[in-house]
Amino acid sequence: MNIIETSNLTKTYAGFTAVSGVNLHIPRGTVYGFLGPNGAGKSTTMKMFLGLTKPTKGDFVIDGKKFPQDRIRILKEVGSFIEAPAFYGNLTGEENLDIVRRIIGLPKSSVDDALELVGLTQWRKRLARKYSLGMKQRLGLASALIGRPPILILDEPTNGLDPVGIHEIRSLIRSLPEKFNCTVLVSSHLLPEIELMADNIGILNHGRLLFEGTLEELRRRAQAKGFPAENLEETFLALIEEDNMQRNHIR
Amino acid sequence: MNISGEYKKIKRTGILPGVFAGGILAASIPILELAVRSEQYTGLVQSPLQTILEADWQMMAMLNMLLVITASCMLYHTEYADHAIQRITTLPIREEAVFIGKFLLMTGLSIAALVMEMLSLIFCTLHWFGGEGGAYETCYGEISAGAYLEFIKDLAADFAYCLGMLIPVILLSLLIASAWKNMWIALGIDVVCVFMATIIPERYFALSIFPFALPFRILEGVSADRAVDYLIAAAAEAMIIGAAEMIFMKVRRALA
Repeated sequence: MNIIETSNLTKTYAGFTAVSGVNLHIPRGTVYGFLGPNGAGKSTTMKMFLGLTKPTKGDFVIDGKKFPQDRIRILKEVGSFIEAPAFYGNLTGEENLDIVRRIIGLPKSSVDDALELVGLTQWRKRLARKYSLGMKQRLGLASALIGRPPILILDEPTNGLDPVGIHEIRSLIRSLPEKFNCTVLVSSHLLPEIELMADNIGILNHGRLLFEGTLEELRRRAQAKGFPAENLEETFLALIEEDNMQRNHIR
Repeated sequence: MNISGEYKKIKRTGILPGVFAGGILAASIPILELAVRSEQYTGLVQSPLQTILEADWQMMAMLNMLLVITASCMLYHTEYADHAIQRITTLPIREEAVFIGKFLLMTGLSIAALVMEMLSLIFCTLHWFGGEGGAYETCYGEISAGAYLEFIKDLAADFAYCLGMLIPVILLSLLIASAWKNMWIALGIDVVCVFMATIIPERYFALSIFPFALPFRILEGVSADRAVDYLIAAAAEAMIIGAAEMIFMKVRRALA
């Protein structure tokens, strides 16, 4: 059963189409990798899910709730981390999470829980503006994870982390469906990263969904088309290149 | 959440000590004035509150407004500086609720500053006008509980009137601060508005109800009709500015 479904989702900005007729199907209790080069429309799609930007055409359903009429109800179920870490620089990591906790209406213990999950407990009393980029990223993740929401939308969550941090966060994301019975939509422009985390993937290029399915299905599709299938990064690049060539040809 | 949440957000911004210092500074104006040249005022046969407010309220009101616009800009600067507002808008809370929370907080801070100023008025009245045969006695009768009650009633009316005149400024400065991510643009606009208000002639009612000109108005020495006119104008402006902010947020969300 799908927890998130989009139907012909489109977003156009003054003549430029960021997302074009996307039909996503994100199964409940899985990690869904949203893959695409920079500017493919991943962040725009995620922003639409959170009501930060309005779809020009099409619609979507999140856990049976429709946007825009159920926006607040949708947001109650979604933990998110979009683009860059967002925080109050004048507050400590702990105080930042406490603000989020109060808005969502969670118990005080949820702050400690979220800090523990991302490994920030030690730096809880430090001002967020004094955090390193990696720590800010972790704070953003903690803010998304607080209260263990059933749906997580994470936009390039490992940006700015060192290799150890990347590994830790990747393992954490991978374990979330099993641990907390949640669904994770995670974007990245790096296939190897998604490969290690996701059960299903969606590949986006220039706002269009090129592929949706499991990694195995992607391999099979690549083989059928004569693309390299052993190395998924090459498969991904071949798919993107083919789409770019088709677009140039149409022009 | 609302007001307590907004209060938590201003930690370490300097807003609270700023309001406290600003309130003390404004409160010290009549004390300093009377300490230096009390003889110019103590002989006047009118309410001591009228004497003090006519002499010093312009400067006190200017300080109050500068306090309000600076604090408003800082309140929204904390939201925009590290993109906190982006996280807040992805939480189950309406942006309108954030604005209302900030308005309530700002009103609370303004009340705190005004209370300090009113305490200073009490001190000045009793110290310089409370002597035997002084303006206090002329106005309220011999020092007694009844006279004191009358004085406090007048003071409370002045306080409420000043607060009422300040509400449109609080709303408008918050609206301006919410519209610009760059705090300096909002602050610049506010400062221009404050200085524009100082050159507006009082005799033209339509001009004198410019939101940033209202806080200069006092209840003392003004006819009841005119005072009510200004109160109605302030209430109407508060409603219009509040509605404008709600529309602005809806439009901004739709255009995002």
